[in-house]
Amino acid sequence: MSDETLTLEQRKRLQEQVLVKHHLANILTHWFNVAMWLLLLPTGIGILLEKTYPASSTAWNDLMRQIFGSTASLIYWHGVWGQIWIAVLTFNIFVGFRKYFLTFASTRMLLDKDDLRWLMIKPWHMLGLRKHVPLPPQDAYNAGQKLYSYLVVIGSFWIGLTGMIMVYSEHIPTSWQWVIQWAMPIHFLSAGITFAGVIIHVYMGAIFPEERQAFFSMFTGKVNGLYAYLHHRKWYLRKMAEKAAWEAEYRRRYREPAQAEAPQASTAPGTASADAPAGD
Amino acid sequence: MSDQPTERVPRLNRRKFLQAAGLAGTGVAIVGSGVGDIRRAEAGGSVGHLPGSYADKIVPTLCEMCVWRCGVRAKVIDGVIEKLEGNPDHPHSEGYLCARGQAGLMMTYDEDRVLEPLMRVGERGSGRFRKVSWDEALDYVADKMLKIKENFGPEAMVFSSTHNLSQPLFENLLYGYGSPNYGTQRSLCFNAMVTAHLLTYGIEEPARRYEGMNYIILTGRNLFGGISTSETRALMQRIAEGAHVVYLDPRFSETAAKAAEWLPIKPGTDSAFILALIHVMIRDELYDKWFVSQYTVGFDELAEGVQDYTPAWAARITEIPEATIYRIAHEFAENRPNAFAHPGWRTSNFINSFHTERAIAILNALQGLCPQQGDCMFLSEASVELGKPPQPGYPPIRAARLDGVPWKYKFVPPKLGVFQELRDAILSGEPYQAHGWFIARQNPMMSLPERQKTRAAFQKLGLVVVMDIIMNDSAWYADVVLPEASYLERYDPLHPVGRRVFLRQPVIEPRGQSRSALWIYKQLGERLGLGDYFQYEDEEDYLRQQLKPWTERLGITLDQLKQTGYFEVPDGYEGPTYRWDTPSGKVELASETLRNAGYDAIPRWYDPPEPGENEFYLLTGKVGQHTQFATQNNAYLHEVRPTNQLWMHPSKAAERGIANGDRVRVTSPAGSVEIEVWLTEGIRPDCVYLTPGFGHESRGLRKAFGRGAADSDLHLTFTDPISGGQALTQTFVTVEKV
Amino acid sequence: MADIKKYGFVIDPRRCIDCRACLVACRAEWNTPPGQTRIWVHTDGPQGIFPAVTQTWVPVQCHHCEDPWCVDACPTGATFKREDGLVLIDEEACIGCGLCVNACPYQVRFRNEVTGKADKCNACFHRVDRGELPACVATCIGGARLFGDFNDPESPVSRAIKDQVVYRPITPEVDTGPMTYYLSPPDASAVQVSPQPRKDLPAEVFWRKWAIPIVKVAVGATFLGQAGAFILQLLRGENEYEDGAV
Ligand code: HEM
Ligand code: SF4
Ligand code: SF4
Ligand code: SF4
Repeated sequence: MSDETLTLEQRKRLQEQVLVKHHLANILTHWFNVAMWLLLLPTGIGILLEKTYPASSTAWNDLMRQIFGSTASLIYWHGVWGQIWIAVLTFNIFVGFRKYFLTFASTRMLLDKDDLRWLMIKPWHMLGLRKHVPLPPQDAYNAGQKLYSYLVVIGSFWIGLTGMIMVYSEHIPTSWQWVIQWAMPIHFLSAGITFAGVIIHVYMGAIFPEERQAFFSMFTGKVNGLYAYLHHRKWYLRKMAEKAAWEAEYRRRYREPAQAEAPQASTAPGTASADAPAGD
Repeated sequence: MSDQPTERVPRLNRRKFLQAAGLAGTGVAIVGSGVGDIRRAEAGGSVGHLPGSYADKIVPTLCEMCVWRCGVRAKVIDGVIEKLEGNPDHPHSEGYLCARGQAGLMMTYDEDRVLEPLMRVGERGSGRFRKVSWDEALDYVADKMLKIKENFGPEAMVFSSTHNLSQPLFENLLYGYGSPNYGTQRSLCFNAMVTAHLLTYGIEEPARRYEGMNYIILTGRNLFGGISTSETRALMQRIAEGAHVVYLDPRFSETAAKAAEWLPIKPGTDSAFILALIHVMIRDELYDKWFVSQYTVGFDELAEGVQDYTPAWAARITEIPEATIYRIAHEFAENRPNAFAHPGWRTSNFINSFHTERAIAILNALQGLCPQQGDCMFLSEASVELGKPPQPGYPPIRAARLDGVPWKYKFVPPKLGVFQELRDAILSGEPYQAHGWFIARQNPMMSLPERQKTRAAFQKLGLVVVMDIIMNDSAWYADVVLPEASYLERYDPLHPVGRRVFLRQPVIEPRGQSRSALWIYKQLGERLGLGDYFQYEDEEDYLRQQLKPWTERLGITLDQLKQTGYFEVPDGYEGPTYRWDTPSGKVELASETLRNAGYDAIPRWYDPPEPGENEFYLLTGKVGQHTQFATQNNAYLHEVRPTNQLWMHPSKAAERGIANGDRVRVTSPAGSVEIEVWLTEGIRPDCVYLTPGFGHESRGLRKAFGRGAADSDLHLTFTDPISGGQALTQTFVTVEKV
Repeated sequence: MADIKKYGFVIDPRRCIDCRACLVACRAEWNTPPGQTRIWVHTDGPQGIFPAVTQTWVPVQCHHCEDPWCVDACPTGATFKREDGLVLIDEEACIGCGLCVNACPYQVRFRNEVTGKADKCNACFHRVDRGELPACVATCIGGARLFGDFNDPESPVSRAIKDQVVYRPITPEVDTGPMTYYLSPPDASAVQVSPQPRKDLPAEVFWRKWAIPIVKVAVGATFLGQAGAFILQLLRGENEYEDGAV
């Protein structure tokens, strides 16, 4: 993304800037989700017997059963954790529906024209081709991340739904038994595909050096201006504009003398002061 | 009692199961330590229902699902009876229980149990009752009974009950009150068998022995449908070991399927078959000459009397080939002493059934089945004598019995009676009018032929009292219903079997307000001023008085008995041993008693009536899943035998355009019913068959109501003058498609 | 060898009198819901033409197969085979999907309407473990049902089949190794007693044919992709990027 040359001074100024990318709620929810996946994935794979549905290994099946004492308690705990996972996520979504979820969904999931272009160019870049075509500027999340969010939201929905069907299967009448029968492969498929996405996601988040900033942001909530400017320019510029507007409003309200230097957010990077209000 | 669990509901109780299985803490507990034998742990987790065999408590008691009275071990969990097992200590069960015995717990937990005394508020038969207290119900009944006695004499009150351990107390009630009118259902069942054996051997119910038997003739005794656990098992064991069973029955029953030979004999001709066997045995000198000369009277008369009953003659009558009859006679004799003819049980088929039974009794005598006294095939079981509470003699009875015993039916023992005559006398008012009927554990509305007559007889009475555990069809028409405790909830008097004495004891507290017969009879007796006949404080006191001689001699106590379920009397304490209680003291091949009464001294052939052109014999019989009319509402038995069907031969069905499963109308002069038909090659074309016990009309039996059809709607009333037995197969019916 | 048991049934239809004591005993022991049973007595009705009529009753329950298809079908391992040969269901591990019900070639399984779990004969293992007989065998009036350890030559089942022609309900297509030995040919009710070839359910087919391969490819591809990228990253080094943490 170093398609644009920045001066050293610009870079320094940008590096000193701090932008808040994630709310605490977001961070906590994310790591809760991660924790639950760490519990659910191994147990889930442990339940499915290799001899019947070769998606696990007998050694793993046995290990999990040894740890939990029996198939029944392995399934029991997978079900309990799964329900906690569903309950907390649902709760968070509902509690923060207006404040967080809608804003998240609209600004970090909706794809715009730039995103579509990005999606058409990025694959070539990944293959090392057409490097000369610049990527369009991205918002807080790039189009790939947005797509991944879809995958996670839809995947989680199906995992949760089918999981609940299986946990409460005994209340499903036998004439509706096909629902249970289909719940199993759908649960497996949703978890599997989401997990495939998670593999890339984890790589990008934790290992891929360019995204190092993003990784730390998932703990601190913050990123520096340079990263934001280079990777999420639309977001960066919007943030700056918001901040300028906020500062102008502040000054107007408290009748402070106008600053000589007007914010240049729309023209040059790194000019607004730090500590912009959090959020999108 | 309100916190007593009353329903037997599926239970999901994992923790308890694990404890019971000894698996708690083996790693299956939810936060498992992760060690331990996983497979076993899983086995522990593998059931939600706590199986019946995990009992907190096992109580030995006696079955009452039929009159065989097997020994039971009742398993109880949390005050709920969960499973019944056959008691290996009891010679009638030998550790086994039939379907009915296994299902016994559902009598106790029947959702249609009557749990409070009821008094009728609507019309008779409207089924509208109100719940009342025991005091109100008993005061009412006693008051009415005393009024009947005052106005019409004690004979105007009819009492009927059946083959129960509490029968002595029932008899105290009836004879203490002063009525001669004692009704049992036995004339619908085994009167012919009992009277014939009384007149031949002086024994009511000959014992059967299967050990070593190689050749067995069963004259309609369907032991695999009418199951008596130990006897049924013994017969099957013999069959498996190669015994040859000859089975006579117009219908291909379960026993027919297992017999070496099924002879679909023409109905009503069994006596011809047996007489021909006797003929051959005498003619060919195949009988046991030593025994006959030593222990019988009337042989010459018999020999002369059966002269004409040749196999050829019998073949024409019975439709069994002459050669077959001849061969069976020879085989039967050749297998002596390991061959016998079963005396039968429900022998109420034709008016000539008494002769069949006499012939069977004689056939066995010719076989010499009692080589020495004391080792007699036909020996009734010796029984242990017990104590009983003191009681005064009964008041003298002046009135004649309504059922004609003995003034019309000389040879019918009073305790058997002629039930159908009793009903007819209530209806006709002859020789006098009855005004009240006390019915205990009986269902005449279903059992008696011509149900419409029984219904009409009920309407003639000012008082009908029914004591039962469910709202049976007769209770439906009663004025007062007294809820008896089920056999798993009550004590009954002791039951001696051979040298052992068995106890029926409550496994759980009685549900609702139900009470034991011992309690009910005593309460009613006291209100009738008959307290002296019921000199016991409670059930346990009665039992202690029964046990008293053995407490004194052997130190046996009731508490001991409650634990073990029985006690055994050692050698030397048996009751009186065997004797042939006949006037001659011998086996009476020819009976002077019968001759003096104007009947045949030896059995003779009498032509039974035959159906007309378009008619069928209406056969009746037993199934192994129900007992008479009492068990059709049992949830478990309902499950395995929910209804009855009319058996019919396909050839006759085709003539009438009837297909398998069609609904047909069956009509007799007595009435008509509609029922589903089952076409089978396993029945004579001139017969149809209907299992009794279905077609209940009490809406208080929610499972059984309206299922199948009742043979009592079809049967006509015919009575054998000698045994008083009802002739159930003498009813002929027509069948047409509806 | 001596320690490991091999449990199974020996059934002699010639001794079965259709009394149904076994059916009721099972129902009472396990409190199975009305309309559902773990045990049957099959018959084709009377055969032949009057008066040459015969009839056979064939007792049937789960055969505790040596190679049970039900166990193979169960995704969770709720249905399993114990070391002693009994095929059991861990109700708490069962999700009531009914794949096993469909898989059993003998149709002896059902979904319990009360518990919502798979259900079938478990040979009253709790009784057997205490040295008692299964409830049906213990009360079989005709003596048609035997149960015991085939590894013990003195057990009633071993003795019953010794020198006898035995019949196992198998066909050339379907042989799950049923551990029920019939002592006379179960020719009556042959249709009900003999095994049916397997037909997979649509969900099962989807699972095996689609879900598993798709997930394997997806997870495999992404994993290989990121592994490749990681190797490249190591080879190229990270210095190229300058926006790293301060
Ligand atoms: C150890 C494993 C994981 C790591 C290191 C990780 C790391 C991250 C990071 C760094 C971000 C922020 C990206 C950005 O700000 O541009 C993020 C976001 C996200 N991650 Fe993960 N993640 C992990 C596992 C998962 C799993 C298992 C899921 C779901 C199945 C998941 C779902 C998401 C989603 C939906 C987002 C975007 C929403 C948000 O910002 O909260 N992550 N993850
Ligand atoms: S009979 Fe059916 S349920 Fe029983 S073990 Fe065999 S395959 Fe499984
Ligand atoms: S119903 Fe239960 S036992 Fe049967 S396959 Fe499904 S999970 Fe396994
Ligand atoms: S209990 Fe025995 S004889 Fe009776 S039906 Fe069952 S298998 Fe047959």
